[in-house]
Amino acid sequence: MVNDPTGEAMNAVFRAEVGLICGSLVRITGDFDLAEDLVQDAVVVALQRWPVDGVPERPAAWLLQTARHRAIDRLRRDSTYRAKLQLLTDGWAPDVRADPDDRLRLIFTCCHPALARDAQVALTLRAVMGMTTSQIAHAFLVSEATMAQRIVRAKRKIVDAHIPYRVPGPDELPDRLAEILASLYIVFNEGYLGSGPDLATSRDLCVDALWLCGLVARMLPEEPEVLALLALMRLHEARRATRFDAAGVLVLLRDQDRARWDHAAIAAAGALLEQSRRLGRPGPYWLQAAIAACHAEAPTFDETDWPQILALYGALVRLSPGPVVRLNRAIALEHVAGPVPAMEELDALRADLDGYHLYWAARAELLRRFGRLDEAAEADRRAIELTDNPSERALLETRLEPTVIRATSANNN
Amino acid sequence: MKYMLLFIKNEEAVSDDATQSAHYAAIDEWFAEIGRDGKLRGGEELQPSNTATTIRFQEGRPLVTDGPFMESKENVAGFVTIDVADLDEAIAIAKKWPPKDQAVEIRPVVNHEAMPHHPVG
Repeated sequence: MVNDPTGEAMNAVFRAEVGLICGSLVRITGDFDLAEDLVQDAVVVALQRWPVDGVPERPAAWLLQTARHRAIDRLRRDSTYRAKLQLLTDGWAPDVRADPDDRLRLIFTCCHPALARDAQVALTLRAVMGMTTSQIAHAFLVSEATMAQRIVRAKRKIVDAHIPYRVPGPDELPDRLAEILASLYIVFNEGYLGSGPDLATSRDLCVDALWLCGLVARMLPEEPEVLALLALMRLHEARRATRFDAAGVLVLLRDQDRARWDHAAIAAAGALLEQSRRLGRPGPYWLQAAIAACHAEAPTFDETDWPQILALYGALVRLSPGPVVRLNRAIALEHVAGPVPAMEELDALRADLDGYHLYWAARAELLRRFGRLDEAAEADRRAIELTDNPSERALLETRLEPTVIRATSANNN
Repeated sequence: MKYMLLFIKNEEAVSDDATQSAHYAAIDEWFAEIGRDGKLRGGEELQPSNTATTIRFQEGRPLVTDGPFMESKENVAGFVTIDVADLDEAIAIAKKWPPKDQAVEIRPVVNHEAMPHHPVG
């Protein structure tokens, strides 16, 4: 027994074991819903027992045994699943073996396009990563009842609509993989844009997303976009420690202490990008990672290679057109061609992005460049209204105040 | 596993005769393919929704009204039932449905044989 286990020690065990166990139980019972419930029950018991008893020496065997006890309990109470549960309680041991392909099949099932994205994310975190419904609800700022309902519905659909448990064939693979990557990036961003490890859940979603993306990359090593997303996450992670000041206020890229970035991780991500580039045409994640690499590799903000970033955004706009990508391209355009063409682009985007706080934040920045301080303050206020993220609000509020003072004194002169 | 594919069509959109007959040729080919594979369990093309009659029950009494169940410019224009291994196979078949201006809704069919309280035969 490992005494006094930290949350992270337990999380590492859940990451390593839960997907494998859950995957093999889905294979044996043929019932995703039932198998996932049994494993989740075992996780909940572990979360109660391990902090007291310590993490067992063979945690996988412990979790399996606990899931088996749950299966026997169910068998006594409920005859519906008799045949399936009998499989688990009788011929249990020989069939349960750690087969990495089971886990990959499980990921593809959880991220099936017939499930809504938020359900894909929640199911993956529960079935593959061993997070509890309560932890997921906390991390995504919804009530536990809402999250539980989302998960129950998704699991019922997997069973009722016969969503298969398998790795898709080569024809479907690119589209299906894109679903997985989109869900993983949502998990990462939720961790990244929040204010660091969530104490309420004790799970660091960035670590979870990086771990799972690394796993998918090992299982599908020829897929360029998986490597690209991994590089993208690592580049963000390398700057993570400098994103907040001591008071917890968000620090803009321009003001971050570049000496404290993880330069070894940045170099490793660069190598990963090279490897991805050799495997295929640059996809959306490759382009985003290449942009992140441009920022991460610049020795100072002023030495950022903006023409290169603008070109990459141009390629990204062609590949996945959307107003948010165009907004980012407009910001790069300002650094290359000045504020006038950037403002024209922002004006054109206004109808699409009227409800997006970062549109108004970017607009405020640009208006300050023109000295239009009243309008800048107004745009910052719009941005504040539109975001719930406390650290983003704090940053916007700290820069709003001097803008208002300067605007007032300019108006008085 | 049986699924019903519902073909949803925008009834306000008009297409010329040439497009229509090209559609029908492609649709025939689509039917021939799933028929050859032994996966087709029947289906029909429907008259437009302005021919629909809807029966509602008010306090148990049937009330006959003109028109579809829900007024919409997009309506079910036809359906087929297929028998395939799983949802992925149904999706693969639906993706090949030739009229690209239509939508295909896939609905799993309830398997009554699997329900112990609902004996069949």
